[in-house]
Order: sequence, then structure tokens, then C-alpha cells
Amino acid sequence: MGTFLASRVMTDIFGGLATGAVVALIALSLVIIWQSTHVLNFAQGAMGMFATFVGMNLVFHGLNYWLCLLLSVVTGMVLGGVTERVLIRPLYGKPEINPIVVMIGFLGVIEAVIASIWTTNITMLPSPFSQIYYQSAGHTILVSPFIFYEVALVAIVVIAIALLFRRTNLGLQMRAAALAPEVSRLLGVRVGRLLTLGWILSTGVGTLAAVVVSTGQVLAPTNMDGIFVSAFIAAAVGGLESPLGAIIAGLAIGLTEQFILDFWSTSIAPLSGVIVLVIGLSLRPQGLFTKHVSRRV
Amino acid sequence: MFRTVSQRYPTGFRLVATVVLCAVALAITFVLTPLDDSKLAGGAAMSIVILGLSWLIGWSGQVSLGNAGFMAIGAYTTAIWANHHTTSPIIWSLFLSTVLGGVSGFVLALPATRLRGPYLAGMTLAFSFAVAPLAIDSRSLTGGSGGLFINFLNSPSWFANLFSGSDALVKANAQWPADVAIVVAAVAFFFMANLFRSRTGRALRLVRDNEVAAELVGVNLQRTRTLAFVISAAYAGLGGSMMTLLSGSVTPQTYGLTLSILLLTLMVLGGIGTLSGAVIGGLIYSYSDNIVSIVNKVTGVNPTSTFGANLKGIVFGVLLILTMMLAPRGLVGLGSYLRRLVRR
Repeated sequence: MGTFLASRVMTDIFGGLATGAVVALIALSLVIIWQSTHVLNFAQGAMGMFATFVGMNLVFHGLNYWLCLLLSVVTGMVLGGVTERVLIRPLYGKPEINPIVVMIGFLGVIEAVIASIWTTNITMLPSPFSQIYYQSAGHTILVSPFIFYEVALVAIVVIAIALLFRRTNLGLQMRAAALAPEVSRLLGVRVGRLLTLGWILSTGVGTLAAVVVSTGQVLAPTNMDGIFVSAFIAAAVGGLESPLGAIIAGLAIGLTEQFILDFWSTSIAPLSGVIVLVIGLSLRPQGLFTKHVSRRV
Repeated sequence: MFRTVSQRYPTGFRLVATVVLCAVALAITFVLTPLDDSKLAGGAAMSIVILGLSWLIGWSGQVSLGNAGFMAIGAYTTAIWANHHTTSPIIWSLFLSTVLGGVSGFVLALPATRLRGPYLAGMTLAFSFAVAPLAIDSRSLTGGSGGLFINFLNSPSWFANLFSGSDALVKANAQWPADVAIVVAAVAFFFMANLFRSRTGRALRLVRDNEVAAELVGVNLQRTRTLAFVISAAYAGLGGSMMTLLSGSVTPQTYGLTLSILLLTLMVLGGIGTLSGAVIGGLIYSYSDNIVSIVNKVTGVNPTSTFGANLKGIVFGVLLILTMMLAPRGLVGLGSYLRRLVRR
């Protein structure tokens, strides 16, 4: 009995971390957009899903998985750039609720567009890696090659983004444009372009997450809804400003939800996210991982 | 029209105006077809929810996506109560749903009113997502994913006797719910018209526009925001209750993200923060299928294709985006703009 429980706990830890990794990735993409344009992209999950449909649907027509993945990410990036230019740019300087409402409307449009173009395919999107747990001398080792792929992909993307923002000139410019747009403009930084680039980067990352979520699953327009909510909670608890906070909170939420799912009830899991958010934000309204910022009058 | 009335005239006048407008609406239901009656009934119920959302977003600046969740609470309260007390008058269902909507609003408001902008919108979105799975799982109480059914709101005999002819009963049974919904909506609108002009209403606008100034003149920020949230949730509960009474059923799938987006769309299209905007939003809801079929005809889309089936979501989402970007004050704002243009 003891070993059974231990193996169940271990399975939950690995499964939770794998889910958490994807949640963290989307949370990170939300933070990138928030940092560059101070918009919370409510359509992030749906946009990623749209791009996933464009690219990954071709797998069913015999195209290579990796080629489709690349195609999806490129589609996501284009969609992100266009969205920033067309929907977000006219709203800079408008009241806070305008971009919120517009992005919620966009979320509705995209989900309806996906459902209207692609009939829900009941075949699963095949995974390039096996989802069957490793076996060793009759014992199951709780990890599948797919989980390795998932976690490795997320780790690579996170490291690449960290390097981009910390080590390159472009990353420095992006941070400057977000932090002090007026000063950056005076110093010759093309702020407008960099904001668009922030969106392109973010939706690219979001699409990657959507592809990973959908791999080994049925492609459905609402695949990302639950995950997006978890990711938002992670980003908010982390403080929306902090990439590291978003990642840590994302992993924590993945673990929490997995344990609640396994030991308590499936239906409580979404509510547990709300509770985590409430507790997190009551402790520190500005997020657990940001320095205190006072609002000026 | 309603808005200028509520701005210039005292409570007594608002009462008369509400009674007159309500009587006109009731009179109109007598000449409508049964189909139009039931469409209008849905619109009246929805306008209550839209008004509550409009109050929250327009007057206190808190963007909530949780009102579909509060509607679900009202809708289930009504269904459960009506099934246990089949003979109790519907006023009890409506009252209980409103109170429970308000109470759950209070619980969510405790954390929600500390949050601003996107944080609040995201938290209420998460709440919206959590309601349906909970309803599906609490099978013994809510009937699981199949939902609950209650008796239809059939016309009492004295009302049916007003009609004659072969399909008198059909007409009476379609019009009675519409008239009930209109009266309930009139009460809700009257209360809100007074609230707009009340001390709380003014305080709320000040909190929205300038927190520091509000605090300096002695407004309790937390209490004011919480009150706004609770009233909005109570209106959603009342509207949800009315929806259950009208449709005779409640299912968890009805009250999801799509409904939250639809509510937001109807409110923005009508005009944020106005009484007439909520009426217009309700009317648009009533005739949304007609609007979509017009789009169908104009674009030549086959309504039975997958594209046609999802056209409603696309049309209303696009309308929401366009209105917010080009005319954020909605049709009401457009109306007052045209009036000014004519006067000039």
C-alpha cells in the first residue's frame, strides 16, 4: 500500500510538472505582452489554438510533425504582429477597460472562426514521442518520452527568451521600450516596432504551448481555455511583471491542480485555481515576485 | 430617454415614467405574435443582467466576466426551489435567486474589489470557468450535465380568459411569461434608475475616476466597490432566475464563457452605463437570431453549414470589437451624437 501511494504521488509530481511547464510557458508569454504593452491578452490561448489548427491540421494530410510545428509557430507570430498593429495600437492611451473588452471580443471571434473552419476532428494529433511510461524490469517509471519532450521544449524556449532579454542588444532595447518609451524614443529606439515584436514573440511562444498541449489530443477550439485560465492565474500570482515569477507560479499551479485532480475531484480543480489566485493576491496584491510599486496620484 | 429622465427628475417622476413605459411595453405584447412574445421575454430577462453588468463596468470601472456565473447561481436556485416547492409563487424564486446571487457576489467581492483592471477580469473569468464543472459534479443537487427541468410558466386562467379564438391558449401561454419578465425588468430598472442618482451612484463614479479624491471626501473605497459588485451579482441572479422560469430548464453548458462574452457584447453595443443601453442590449438579444439570418442572407452563407452555425459568435464578436474601437459609447452614444448633429 505504501509503495502504491508513493508511486501515485510520484506520478502526480511528474505529471503536474509537465502540465505546469506548459502553464508556465503561456504565463511567460502573457508576461512578455504585459511588459511590452500593458495589455493582458485574453485571446492568447485562442490565438495559439488557431495557429495550431492552421499548422498541425496538415499532419493529417501526411506532412511532417516538425514542419507543421514550425508552420504553426510562424502563423502564430504573424497573427500576433497583425493583432498588435490593428487591434491594440489604436487603443494606447485609452481607458484600461478598452483593450480588455476588445481582446475578450477577439477571443470569442477566434474560437468561433476555428469552429467554423475546421470540423472537430475526432482523430488524435499523433505525438512524435511515445506517451507510454518507461518500463524497467517490470516497474513503471512514471515518465514517458513525451513528458521529456514537453519539459525539454519548455526549458529551451525559456532559456532562449532569458538570453534574448538579458544578453542581446535587441532584448535590451525591448526592455527599454517597455520601461521608458519616451526616453527610448529620444535615444533612437524604434519603440513601435519593438512593441509589435513583443507581441510576435509572445504569440509564437503561446502557439508552441498550444501545439504541445494538443499533441496526443483531439484538436478542439477550446483546448486552451482551461490552461489559459491557469496560466493567467500563474502570471497574476507571479505579478504580471516577473518572468521568473510566472514560471515558478506556473509549475506550482500545475502541481496543485494535478494533486487536487487525483486525490479530490476533477470539478474542484478549476475552483482551486481561483482560490490560489485569491490567496496569492491577498498576500501581495502586486504579485509575489515583484518589488513593491506604489501608484502615484 | 430614460437617462435624461433619471438625471433631471425626482423619484416620483421616475416611478411614473417606469409605470408608463412598462404599461406601453405590456400593451405591445398584446399585439405581438406568440413567437415575438417569447423573444421579448428572453430580452427582458437578459436586459436585467446587462443592466447589472453595465452598472458594474460603466459606473465603477470594474470589468467582470463572472456575471454568467452569478446567472448560473440564480438559475439553479430557481430550479431547485421550484422543484421542491412546486406550489410556491414565482416571486419567491425570484427573490431567493436575487439574494443568493448577491450573497455569492459578496463572497467573490471580498478578493475581487482589491483587484484592478485585467487582474479582476481574469479572476472573474476563472470563476466563470469554475461554475459549470461544479454544477456538473454536484449531481444530486443540480442534476449533473443534464441539468434540471421545472414546470413552464403557464398563464393563469384569468389571463387566458382575456383571449379568444382557436389558439387563445397558445397566445396566452406565450404572452404571460413575457409580461411577467417585463414587470420584473421594470422593477429592476426603476431601482437602478434611483441608484444611478443616489449618493452611492455618485460615490461610485468618483471612485472610478479618482480614488484619492474619493477617499478625501470620505468615501469608503472598499465598501463602495463591494456594494457595486454585490448589486451587479444580484441582478445577474435575478436575470438567471428569469431565464430558468422562461425556458423551464437549466443546463450547466448555458452559463459559460460564451455567455459572458455575449453579455459584454450586448452591454457595449447598447451603451455602457446607461438604462436605455441595457434596454437596447436586451432587444438585440431578443432578435439576435434575426440579425444573424440577415447577415446570412447578405453574405450568402448557408446557415446549416459549420460556418453558418458559428456565424453568431463571429458576428457578435466583431461587433463588440468594432463598437469598442470606433464608438465606445455604443448605440446610445451614437443616438446622442446624432441629436447634437441635428440641433447644430
